[in-house]
Amino acid sequence: MSDNLSELLGRKGLQENFFQKLGTLASQEGTPTEEAMEELAQEFLVGKANAFGTASFYDFLKPENKGKKVYVCNGTACECANTQKEVIDTLRLTFEADEIGHMTCLGRCHENAAFHYQGTNYSGNAIQNIQSILSGNKASRQDQYRVKALGPAILTESFSTISTYYRPFLDALKKDSAAVLEEIKTSNLRGRGGAGFPIGTKLEFCRNSTNDTKFIICNADEGDPGAYSDRYLLEQRPHSVLFGMLISGYVTHARYGILYIRAEYPEAVEAVQKALTELREHQLIGSQIAGSDFSFDFKVIQAQGSYICGEETALINSIEGQRPEVRVRPPFPAQKGLFNKPTTVNNVETLAALHFIISKGGQAWKQIGTERSSGTKLLCLDSFFQYPGIYEVAMGTPLSTVINDLGGGFTKPVKALQIGGPLGGLVPVSKIDSLTVDFESFAQQGFLLGHGSIISVPESYPIMKFIEHLFDFAAYESCGKCFPCRLGTKRGHELSLKALESDYKIDRTLFEDLLTTLEKGSLCAHGGGIPLPIRNALHYFEEELAAYFN
Amino acid sequence: MKIAYINNESFPIHEGETILSFIKRHTSEKLVPTLCDAPNLDPFGSCRVCSVEVALQENGKTKTLASCHTPVAEGQYIYTSTDAIKALRKNIIELVLTDHPLDCLTCEVNGNCELQTVAAEVGIRKVRYPEGANHLNKKKDLSHPYMTSDFSKCINCYRCVRACDEVQGEFVLSMAGRGFDSHIIKGMNDSFMDSDCVSCGACSQACPTSAISDVFQSKAVHATKKTRTICTYCGVGCNLEVATHNGEILSIQAPYDAEVNQGHTCIKGRYAFKFYNHRDRLNSPMIKRNGAFEKVSWDEAYEYIASKLTHFKQEFGPNSIAGISSARCTNEENYLMQKFIRAVIGTNNIDGCARVCHSPTALGMQRTFGTGAATNSIEDLQYTNCILVIGANPTDAHPVTGAKLKQFAMKSDHVSIVIDPRKTELAKYATHHIPLRPGTNVAVLNMMMYYIIKEGLVDSAFIAQRTEGYEDFEKELLAIDLDQMEEVTGVDRNVIREAAIAYAKAPNAMSFHGLGVTEHSQGTFTVMQIADLALLTGNIGRRGVGVNPLRGQNNVQGSADMGVQPHQGAGYLDVTNEQINQRYNEFYGVEVPKAIGYKIPEMFQAALSGKLKALWVIGEDIVQTDPNTQKVIRALEATELVIVQELFMTETAKYADVILPGASFLEKSGTFTNGERRVQAVRQVVNPIEGAKPDGQIIVDIMNKMGYPQPDYTPEGMLAEISQIVPFFAGISWDRLGKNGLQWPVAPDGTDTQILHKTEFKRGKGYFEFNPWEETQELTSHAKEYPYILTTNRELEHYNCGAMTRRTANEQILSDDYLMINPEDAKEHLIEEGDFICIESPRGKVDVKARITDEVKKGILSTTFHFPEIMINNLTGDIHDSEAMCPEYKVVAVRIRKSKGAFKKTLV
Repeated sequence: MSDNLSELLGRKGLQENFFQKLGTLASQEGTPTEEAMEELAQEFLVGKANAFGTASFYDFLKPENKGKKVYVCNGTACECANTQKEVIDTLRLTFEADEIGHMTCLGRCHENAAFHYQGTNYSGNAIQNIQSILSGNKASRQDQYRVKALGPAILTESFSTISTYYRPFLDALKKDSAAVLEEIKTSNLRGRGGAGFPIGTKLEFCRNSTNDTKFIICNADEGDPGAYSDRYLLEQRPHSVLFGMLISGYVTHARYGILYIRAEYPEAVEAVQKALTELREHQLIGSQIAGSDFSFDFKVIQAQGSYICGEETALINSIEGQRPEVRVRPPFPAQKGLFNKPTTVNNVETLAALHFIISKGGQAWKQIGTERSSGTKLLCLDSFFQYPGIYEVAMGTPLSTVINDLGGGFTKPVKALQIGGPLGGLVPVSKIDSLTVDFESFAQQGFLLGHGSIISVPESYPIMKFIEHLFDFAAYESCGKCFPCRLGTKRGHELSLKALESDYKIDRTLFEDLLTTLEKGSLCAHGGGIPLPIRNALHYFEEELAAYFN
Repeated sequence: MKIAYINNESFPIHEGETILSFIKRHTSEKLVPTLCDAPNLDPFGSCRVCSVEVALQENGKTKTLASCHTPVAEGQYIYTSTDAIKALRKNIIELVLTDHPLDCLTCEVNGNCELQTVAAEVGIRKVRYPEGANHLNKKKDLSHPYMTSDFSKCINCYRCVRACDEVQGEFVLSMAGRGFDSHIIKGMNDSFMDSDCVSCGACSQACPTSAISDVFQSKAVHATKKTRTICTYCGVGCNLEVATHNGEILSIQAPYDAEVNQGHTCIKGRYAFKFYNHRDRLNSPMIKRNGAFEKVSWDEAYEYIASKLTHFKQEFGPNSIAGISSARCTNEENYLMQKFIRAVIGTNNIDGCARVCHSPTALGMQRTFGTGAATNSIEDLQYTNCILVIGANPTDAHPVTGAKLKQFAMKSDHVSIVIDPRKTELAKYATHHIPLRPGTNVAVLNMMMYYIIKEGLVDSAFIAQRTEGYEDFEKELLAIDLDQMEEVTGVDRNVIREAAIAYAKAPNAMSFHGLGVTEHSQGTFTVMQIADLALLTGNIGRRGVGVNPLRGQNNVQGSADMGVQPHQGAGYLDVTNEQINQRYNEFYGVEVPKAIGYKIPEMFQAALSGKLKALWVIGEDIVQTDPNTQKVIRALEATELVIVQELFMTETAKYADVILPGASFLEKSGTFTNGERRVQAVRQVVNPIEGAKPDGQIIVDIMNKMGYPQPDYTPEGMLAEISQIVPFFAGISWDRLGKNGLQWPVAPDGTDTQILHKTEFKRGKGYFEFNPWEETQELTSHAKEYPYILTTNRELEHYNCGAMTRRTANEQILSDDYLMINPEDAKEHLIEEGDFICIESPRGKVDVKARITDEVKKGILSTTFHFPEIMINNLTGDIHDSEAMCPEYKVVAVRIRKSKGAFKKTLV
């Protein structure tokens, strides 16, 4: 977090973007050459240490990425489904070991066996057609999943036409932007990225910050293993997201919208670019849209492989081209965000909900769901379900309805569900009946609704291994800025691995101290959140874990 | 009054302060431990050991928050030391110790390590984690003459990275990798020596452990004494804290409570001190007999000097004697030197190095405002919206102010304008850069004022109330030939117009200027234009505005203040004025002369024409640094008695008849006055080396020897005398100076002044005077045969003639002068990087190594003058400022070719 770097990297505006340029420079060999980084640093006056520092942070920019040709998913869903060993073995027939990298969750949790080759994701049975894929045939990439709404289809509603879909936006442009914001506030729509903060309040903060330049960022860095609902929206309903950003821009007086889309979702980038072209053709973006005073334009930034970029301040740093380390708050992004300008960062699904609210009114959304959790929510079910896929349910729907009725129950014995990503709780199957899909129910029971991803942990999968996997993920993805997370996740991983692989017994007090230190001491929800599923594991699987502790 | 509670006790809060500063303000510095927090850095929130518990009611439900970056809010109950908080801190430190060598006893910062202190405070007794991955095998970096690193000791607090960014603005350091693998890098994983590090040492001072340190081990605790004094290396006036043991200097750090430098300083201030006891130091008076120097006793030297001077005075009159005082010496010493020349010898032939640097500033600002000194303070950068930097390269020549200007220029809501032929470091970051042809400052500034008037951006109310001469000024200004001006400056008029508008539109605009303004044939006029620009836009008399010369040598302001000028005595009082003369006569107890004395160039002329018999030069290497070296040498050879008071056998000292070994700034006490009129206490750190004496005492001894009663040199005694004669020193006494000094004028009650001309100018009204641009004679006479323009500049590592810095390890970082040449020019002459170039001017020729860079435009060359091996002043000429006689170092007509002969061989 450097004010100076924010200023310098912002000097060329959005068109000449340092981070994007680094990505381009890496596209040849998997990492930018030192000379190229030096030139780039000179161009932006930021010192070559900063170019190198940034590049070395990302999976797909760092020097170690050089020469990687194919990437295998190592997300939790693929891990629990135990499909990846075979994928790697198959790939090894063609590739050297050091040509195979990994990506953490390609969002193919519904069919697993996921891997990435030359800008395209493959999953399910695709690996069996590897030779055809290597010869350039992308047809077998698969990706079949169910999409269904239990009640009204809002987020999953089928797309009409551009002119019909954007009619409410054009209508809104004729209204006072304060009134439009009021509608959003009335809806009490809460952020779908995990934190559940009301978007209306967030937009109002940004609106109240005076500055000629403001930004609306769509956080499309859906990094939670197990989650692919944002991917669904970006690929299948991109206009819902763009609509939400336009409206957000209108109510905050922002002129620029940035979609920060993870590298692991190349198809989403394409779909959004295509949608933007359509918008441009319909003159729905640019200056003075439809004769109004409102001007707005978009920029798509492709991420480069780092889970922490889903944290909003890390994401802002990432777009700038700084190392995506978490910033302290205050100042909040609404006061001082991207390039030190007022910025609002919203999740894909949250933005997608605005179309309904603007078309039907905030009250209409508010009437769906529960008192404090309004509207509908997307849930992602993995391959252990009879019917893997994306399900839209009203907030407050019993979890068992989702699991059993929509998902059709499990195809193999499952002992727990991790809901809401790696920082979400570990729900033992015995608790399914006592939960409803809303923020409050999960929080009260000591879990987290999070982003609504559901990963099944099969009976056969040792919980200690699951803990080790979580710590491995947390340590690997820690930005390294704060002491508790940088050191604690690493030591947590070492302790659990040692216990798993030898007769070492973990000291319970030490482990408890470690979790508390992470929980209370960490700068952001990454280190602060990882103890939740681990504590759930310790609590609900005490017996299974007893052998590893003294 | 809003309050919050610390451990259930109520205290008033300040709006916007952090919980940590709230706690520190009301309790102790140590109640809450910290590691990543530092006094001169923004809150960062990485270590988390400053965590506290915060509740909304007494003993209510708490939340754990990092106090360093959380603002305190009204009614909060803050608990600093609950069991949970104590455990959290201890557990964090335990984690840190899993990746930190436990070799405290052999560590250089043992006893002064923040990690060690915090570990002791939280009570770590054991590390419970089994051995895991660590960074203990990281190799030390000992590549650099000053900076060292041992990243096995790094705790990833980022203080070094932040210091490099937020304080120095250099971006040499960053973190690389992520998570547990994140690690500090210099450049692209380079060593300190190979990186772009400017050796300011901010990272070393910021580092809480010994992960980044320096060869002097400045954080080690074996020093027995720390002395606060003022740096000798430029007009910024950094406060230094010098650690000594048994009379030997160990290291230097910068105090955080220094108003001038806030814990920062540069390579010269922090590290270039080892010259003070270098084996080359002059350690005995010497008299040249039969062409060789012989060591003599002080008495013999004094006797020799006194009898010779008395003889010349009687035989040829007092005007056959002249003195050049030193801007490196204290105010008290400068005062004594001018007093000696005026009261003991009886002539006004006293001048100083200001003649060759900022004499046009003093004169020009006196003409326009009435006072020849900075109108504002560097602190005003916090209050300004626009900086205009003209003919100055502060990141090299005034590094601490330069760093502040660079910090300013990096912020997008600020306007920064750089007028400089070179693309200086600051110009790279500036909003507007005007790369004018050297010698056209007046043209550019007239164009700027033209556009400001044309755009209707003048401050008419200010002009009406506080200035005079505007009507004529405007009429003449509006008649300038824009086409011609555009052509001679070589800059698109729109670039100048935009900069002018930006300056005029800024609510508050400050200007800074350096020798690129003064060392020209129209130097004084340029200074007056800069002052006019401020008058025109009403940028005078409040915070964040004004005209601020960046004074070169540490006490060049003070030397002029003390009367080291041939036309003004101590306190800038006109020597020709009858009343003033009376006052001096009474005060000094002897008749002092009323005729204006020689300026330095006139001294040389007088010597060459046989009128000057004796010249006493203190701490100034005129042979190497004054223009037209061969002429200076001839002048010295023509002078019967040349006394040189020096630290080293400089090029000038070689031509001396008597050498007097003086003392360095570390060996004496007194005061220096920085570029913002701040008089600061210089405190003796060590005794002068054996055989040397404080310069002030030498002057006193000779005064006594020649029959003038002057008490022994002490800063207290001298300031008591000076305060009675220099009006703006009225309230200054040694005891009052305190830690941060006083900015003159200082009233008798001790009140000092940060901003001049608040309600009226020293001369009454601000004075507008138009002066048209004129081509320098150097070019009208020689440009045809010598088509290139050579200009001079400075390098960060060296100070002036380099007598001091070349005798430190700075010499290993930059070991010779070089010539900057544009790639196109280099190509034309088949010159490659590092080739020697022969530069020839109408005065002579020198051979210098080429550095090919687009920092200079085609047709322009630039070089330094730090090394006697090159003697660049063999090229510079006699053209000088029409008003103040400051030499025109900045425009020299030259021609170039690739070197032949001997110089070619040195390349192999």
